Amino acid sequence: MSAVLDARGIGMSFRNGDELTEVLKGVDLTLMPGELAALLGASGSGKSTLLSIVGLLLRPTTGTISIGGQRVEILSESERAEFRNRRLGFIFQFHHLLPDFTATENVAFPAAAPAGGISPSMRSRARDLLARVGLADRMDFPATRLSGGQKQRVAIARALMNSPELVLADEPTGSLDRVAAEQVLDLMREVNREDKATFLVCTHDEKVAARCMRRITLQDGRVEGASVSDGPPG
Amino acid sequence: MFALTVARRYLLSNPAQTALLVAGVALGVTAFVFITALIQGLAVRLTDDVTANSAHVSLAPLTRVARVLPSPDADVEAVAIVSTFQRRQIRAWASTVALLRTQTSVSAISPQISGSAFLVKGEAVAPVAVTAIDPAGLDAISPISTKIVSGAASLGADGILIGVRLAENLGLSSGQPVLFRTDRGVDRLLTIRGVFETGLQSLDERVAYLSIQTARPLFRLPEGVTNIEVKLVDPHRAREIAAFLREATGLRTTSWQEKNASLESGLEAQAQTGTLIQTFSLISVLIGIASALSLSANRRRGEIGIMRAFGISKGFIATVFVLQGLLIGMVGAGIGCLSGFALCSWLATLTKPDGSMALPIVPAEGGYVAVFVLTILGAVLASVIPARSAARLDPLEAIQQ
Repeated sequence: MSAVLDARGIGMSFRNGDELTEVLKGVDLTLMPGELAALLGASGSGKSTLLSIVGLLLRPTTGTISIGGQRVEILSESERAEFRNRRLGFIFQFHHLLPDFTATENVAFPAAAPAGGISPSMRSRARDLLARVGLADRMDFPATRLSGGQKQRVAIARALMNSPELVLADEPTGSLDRVAAEQVLDLMREVNREDKATFLVCTHDEKVAARCMRRITLQDGRVEGASVSDGPPG
Repeated sequence: MFALTVARRYLLSNPAQTALLVAGVALGVTAFVFITALIQGLAVRLTDDVTANSAHVSLAPLTRVARVLPSPDADVEAVAIVSTFQRRQIRAWASTVALLRTQTSVSAISPQISGSAFLVKGEAVAPVAVTAIDPAGLDAISPISTKIVSGAASLGADGILIGVRLAENLGLSSGQPVLFRTDRGVDRLLTIRGVFETGLQSLDERVAYLSIQTARPLFRLPEGVTNIEVKLVDPHRAREIAAFLREATGLRTTSWQEKNASLESGLEAQAQTGTLIQTFSLISVLIGIASALSLSANRRRGEIGIMRAFGISKGFIATVFVLQGLLIGMVGAGIGCLSGFALCSWLATLTKPDGSMALPIVPAEGGYVAVFVLTILGAVLASVIPARSAARLDPLEAIQQ
């Protein structure tokens, strides 16, 4: 089985005046289909930078990245945007739902904007996803009337709208209380298990990492221990 | 169009702010409409005042100028002397009038003898500009008969009409005789048949009307006329028709615009001032839209960042903001045009104590199509800056904030 993500020799450095800061120093990382991996590391270890590079929001200084067998670091900006839209899903610490839209409209948004509107099939899929994340009774609620945990669940449904090959989550429970955080983690595990969706979860929280099937720890811009997957999850 | 749905939702998400923004646009458009209707109205009133009381095109003989004759001997110069003995005149005026009658653009023709004279009453002497016309066409150029304040508008033999100021200065009234002395040294006793008041001091103090038959011996012009005054169906074509008549008759022709150059330059200056005010009112509208949309783009940085992260194109995000500008412009311009028309229509009903309009405003001349189109175009242009800045937002930076 081929890897969903295959990143090799990822380096990232920033120039601040005369000073060159090397954030990532040749990171190798592979994820197999259906994996739920935690990307751990202390603040400043480079984990958010790596997630942004894998999510095509940043270009690495060095290295190659393949997602679903396609080299992506060589894509133009508009091609990267299209790739993100069709093949990647994002869950951020802050959901940033569109407050003037309903839960269904928020979920359908990534598909609707490029298509020029919400088609009946998009609406149907968005509603299925909302039912899947336990919000069947909140589908037509405006985003502003949802609780923090419910909003993050809408954000998870939104990330799954275009059936992405890889879902990238950056501190997905960071802004939630303990109960809501547990619910969101359960949901991610459930989607991962049942839909075989591949997740890379960036976190500094050991409890979150403990719920994942694999741990990848970054320290000082390098991966500690094994970073290459041994194979598909059991 | 999904971008339109997003733009509409964004605008409706804060109704009070959107209402204020639209009100600002509408106010600017109302000011534009008011200024345009007022300036147009003023121009129409001034032009109408002039064209209603004067000829639109005047025909007169060519000016005679003394000229140097060519001489084979360079030391000797010969000059053709201009005779001042005989008054310049249009001898073939009947054929010129016949030509004018064939022109559909001409509405009235008045062959005239114009000259200078003095009115003498005892020791008092007053200079007058004499207009001698066919009594049947007394009102052809200027409606004098409606301005008569005493006596009658009749120009029988030896009759004269004078202005009210002139009558006051000389202590004259209708029915009285007055000694008329022309610039040709001919004296004759005329009877004042009527006194008119036009409201224009230059006319009421200096102009006198005679019949052309009375004037012929007085100005020693047994056959010709000194000028032919013409009224046109459309006074605005006066320049063009004057040029045509110059070619056709060989006479010197003058349009009413040439005679009133100061009026024309005044109207131009007024129009330029109006354009400046209109431009500033539009600019203030555009600055309002640009700043409001910039604030909106800034407030929605997180949402825009997420959209960009999800691969929503820059074009889509820019379109959302341009459409907001377009919607604000359309609604604001529409309301502004309606309120501008309502304001101008109300102002047009206001009158002075004498019954005349308080403001020379023409509600129909508010430049509605121009301001509607300009406001919408301007609103779209004003939204381009916030639209570009929203589209260029770095998704990572926006999300992390």
